[in-house]
Amino acid sequence: MDLDKLRKTAAEVVSRDDVKYLIGWRPGSYGYRVAPGFVEEASAAETLIFSPLCTINLATYLTLTEKLPLPRGSAPDQRKVALMVKGCDSRAVLQLLVEKGIRRDQVLLIGCPCPGVVDTALLSLKYPETESPADLKWNGDHFLLRQDGQETAIPRLSVLAEKCRLCRYPNPVISDITLGEPVEAQLTAEDSAVAEVEAMELGARAAYWEEWFSRCLRCYACRNSCPLCYCRDCVLDRLNPTWVNRAVNFSENTAFHVARAFHLVGRCIECGECERVCPANIPLGRLNRKLAREVREQYGHEPGIDPDGKPFQAGFKPDDPEEFIL
Amino acid sequence: MTEKPKLGVYICHCGINISATVDVEALTEYALTLPNVKVARHYSYMCSDPGQLLIKNDIKAEGLNRIVVASCSPRMHEPTFRKSIQAAGLNPYFLEMANIREQCSWVHEDRTEATIKAKKLVAAAVAKVRLLEPLEAREVEAERSALIIGAGIAGIQAALDIADAGFKVYLVEKSPSVGGRMAQLDKTFPTLDCSACILTPKMVDSANHPNIELITYAEVEEVKGYIGNFEIKVRKKARYVDFDKCTGCGDCASACRVANRFASEFDEGMGKRSAVYLPFPQAVPAKYTIDPKSCLYLTKGKCGKAPKCAEVCGAGAINFEQTDELVEFKAGAIIVATGFDVFDATGKPEYGYGQYPNVITGLEMERLVSASGPTGGKIKVFNGAEEIVPQEIAFIQCVGSRDKSVGVEYCSRVCCMYTAKQAHLIVDKLPEAKVRVYYMDVRAFGKGFEEFYDRVRREGVRYIRGNPSEIFKRGNKLVIKAEDTLTATPLEDEVDMVVLAVGLKPRSDYRTTMELLRLSQSPDQFFLEAHPKLRPVDTATDGIFLAGCCQGPKDIPDTVAQAKGAASSAMIPLAKGKVTIGAQVATVFEATCRGCGFCVSICPYSAIELVTVNRMGHMIEVARVNEALCKGCGSCSAGCLSDSIQPKSFRDRQILPQIAALGVLR
Repeated sequence: MDLDKLRKTAAEVVSRDDVKYLIGWRPGSYGYRVAPGFVEEASAAETLIFSPLCTINLATYLTLTEKLPLPRGSAPDQRKVALMVKGCDSRAVLQLLVEKGIRRDQVLLIGCPCPGVVDTALLSLKYPETESPADLKWNGDHFLLRQDGQETAIPRLSVLAEKCRLCRYPNPVISDITLGEPVEAQLTAEDSAVAEVEAMELGARAAYWEEWFSRCLRCYACRNSCPLCYCRDCVLDRLNPTWVNRAVNFSENTAFHVARAFHLVGRCIECGECERVCPANIPLGRLNRKLAREVREQYGHEPGIDPDGKPFQAGFKPDDPEEFIL
Repeated sequence: MTEKPKLGVYICHCGINISATVDVEALTEYALTLPNVKVARHYSYMCSDPGQLLIKNDIKAEGLNRIVVASCSPRMHEPTFRKSIQAAGLNPYFLEMANIREQCSWVHEDRTEATIKAKKLVAAAVAKVRLLEPLEAREVEAERSALIIGAGIAGIQAALDIADAGFKVYLVEKSPSVGGRMAQLDKTFPTLDCSACILTPKMVDSANHPNIELITYAEVEEVKGYIGNFEIKVRKKARYVDFDKCTGCGDCASACRVANRFASEFDEGMGKRSAVYLPFPQAVPAKYTIDPKSCLYLTKGKCGKAPKCAEVCGAGAINFEQTDELVEFKAGAIIVATGFDVFDATGKPEYGYGQYPNVITGLEMERLVSASGPTGGKIKVFNGAEEIVPQEIAFIQCVGSRDKSVGVEYCSRVCCMYTAKQAHLIVDKLPEAKVRVYYMDVRAFGKGFEEFYDRVRREGVRYIRGNPSEIFKRGNKLVIKAEDTLTATPLEDEVDMVVLAVGLKPRSDYRTTMELLRLSQSPDQFFLEAHPKLRPVDTATDGIFLAGCCQGPKDIPDTVAQAKGAASSAMIPLAKGKVTIGAQVATVFEATCRGCGFCVSICPYSAIELVTVNRMGHMIEVARVNEALCKGCGSCSAGCLSDSIQPKSFRDRQILPQIAALGVLR
């Protein structure tokens, strides 16, 4: 990816009259950290990057934007939000469009074909991060890490994010401007993580999730980072009726995670943000990917692919095989 | 709620339906221990007049403000009890029914256990009824007109009845002429009235009636709205003949360059028609139509130097520039009378239909014996290349009826009798002919049917019990292989002609109609009535009714009876000029609705739409329920991720305590 081209395109886009601001990636405060960059002026486009560290799914910010009350008589800002998207991020945007979470004319998408991002936690475990900013580049089978004047070649698969190992859509499925050349879907590996849980005996599986869910802090980071959890008022926060109690314990945590997983059935686009942001490292990706696979296999539905498709949970086929109904 | 709940619990014995399995006395005592319950009584028939009086008197005397009736399913008697508590001055929606019959006494045998379950059901109803809100049913204006889809005998009869009552009727027919299947028939069983003689006057009436707007060669394209206020779009297909100018003289058809080259749909392919045609001489309206699929000019863009039809038409009615026309109107009720198709006999290849020209279907036989048919009523068929007058004729019953091998389990109800009638007609026309009927059972259940069947047998028609296994050709004869199951004799009968008594099937395009009107199907794929016994002409959607064979196979008198029934039901909203809208509808909590539209796609009644609202200066989309269309089914609620849409009286905060009382929740 040519960074100059990216910055130039971003500067051009931000200068357009019909664009409010651009959301891209910029280096974070230290080490491997990358932060969302909200660019309102062309000059600020210089800070933008696109590298294997850009794991954040920026689509989340489309619906997170607070809509402050407007003074009487003033019209809402109808300008577009420009958004930089990887393959998986673009699916989130497409799914939001299908679900009417946003309108097509509200966004301008800058597609970034993505050869796969790193699992930052894994990376810092294997190559401890320092305070000084690091730069990571794609280079065939390796990532090139430059930090503190040193360059290290890191075997790609050793730090590649789990979701990228399973990625079927590395190229944006929807975009207005595409940067760089399309990437070939690299690996469509068997989802060994899900298979591992599936292979467990029922009791062992329950124990497995009990172990993980007991660790949940209920910080709600998974929900807040999820691009498709965009309800104005989450049912799981309600008090009347109280679907999930405030108490942080195995039972309530499980109710929270199971309810969330079911709300994402046929909607989850497998960007893996929930798992990435989890401070307790709960393998939420496995839960969501399992359900996504069920939907794919049982109903032939894949979210965030077909712009004219109907939302899965609102669809009905008269010729549904209904194999699971006795 | 400002006033303190004062509950009355009324437990019904339902004769012994409930009391035999549930200890109603113990249940009554238990009910009195439940919170806020002031009165609890049991009675043999709570729905009877004295039973309802018990409730009414208690409401007045004890000041009850919430009522629980523990009896049967609310489907039947909820309206009954609502009316009675309303008569006593209570909001009719302050009622909850505990179903201790279908969900308890009828499905259990152990009295102790059943009583425990009944107690739980009553406790659950008590828990919910306290939380109910007062609701008001509303009335909206109803359009005083009806749409009838299909102008066969059912559609025509319904149209005439409604029009005679003084209401406007839009009668839409897909083909160029009204008349439907009945127009194709020769004589009708068992009275042998000539079908055309009794039908054609009605066809003419349907075209001339001042209150009927007949729209032929047209299809309903869109139906929106609800009972009393349907908005309808109809596509009038281009006839390429000016409807007002055409005099029906037929010069065009004789002049047509491809005259008599195409199989006539009306004659079931036994006769021929031109590219410009009148389906049959008595067609109503008597206006010619150019078939765009067979007309040279319309398919090839060229017809000699100039189309001959246009040259000979004295009225100048031919107009190749004509295009489809969309007509829009409103109607208060809809009657679906789309009719049937006959079973495709090639589905039973062992009978050789389509292979031997002298194996024909019952409907083809109707055209063959008809005086207005392709042979002028003479019975002759091709045996190979030779045209013969058959001397040995066989009828085979139940072709595509009561036959699981072709996926049809039902009896088509008309084949036994039309076969008997056709056998009679053959005996009449060819007295020397030998006629045999191969049957499984003869179902002669209607008025005069058995007598007619007897008469036909006395006339010399031989009935052989046994369905043939095969028909094949030997020399110039057809051989029927069968077994006479009454005498256990294998048979190989040689005949000149075979008539297959094909059964009735839903129309091939039933799915379009179903999707258009959101109808349901019964397992036989015919349209489903709202209740098999008590609402046979209604559908699940208010204001849409069924008439004739689209609902299931039936003969002409049954079709006419059903059409009259549908007409009278459809006239209720038309006559009242108003429709009542149920109050238990879904409501949207707009503050949390995220406008995703899941509910819009899920709603089986198209009752929800997304509307744009101003929220603090921002225009956002939220769901809105059309209360007139909503049935309160709750599908939307199940699909809503943010819990922002819930049916009134079935809100989470009303249902959850009910579930809790069952002991499922803490």
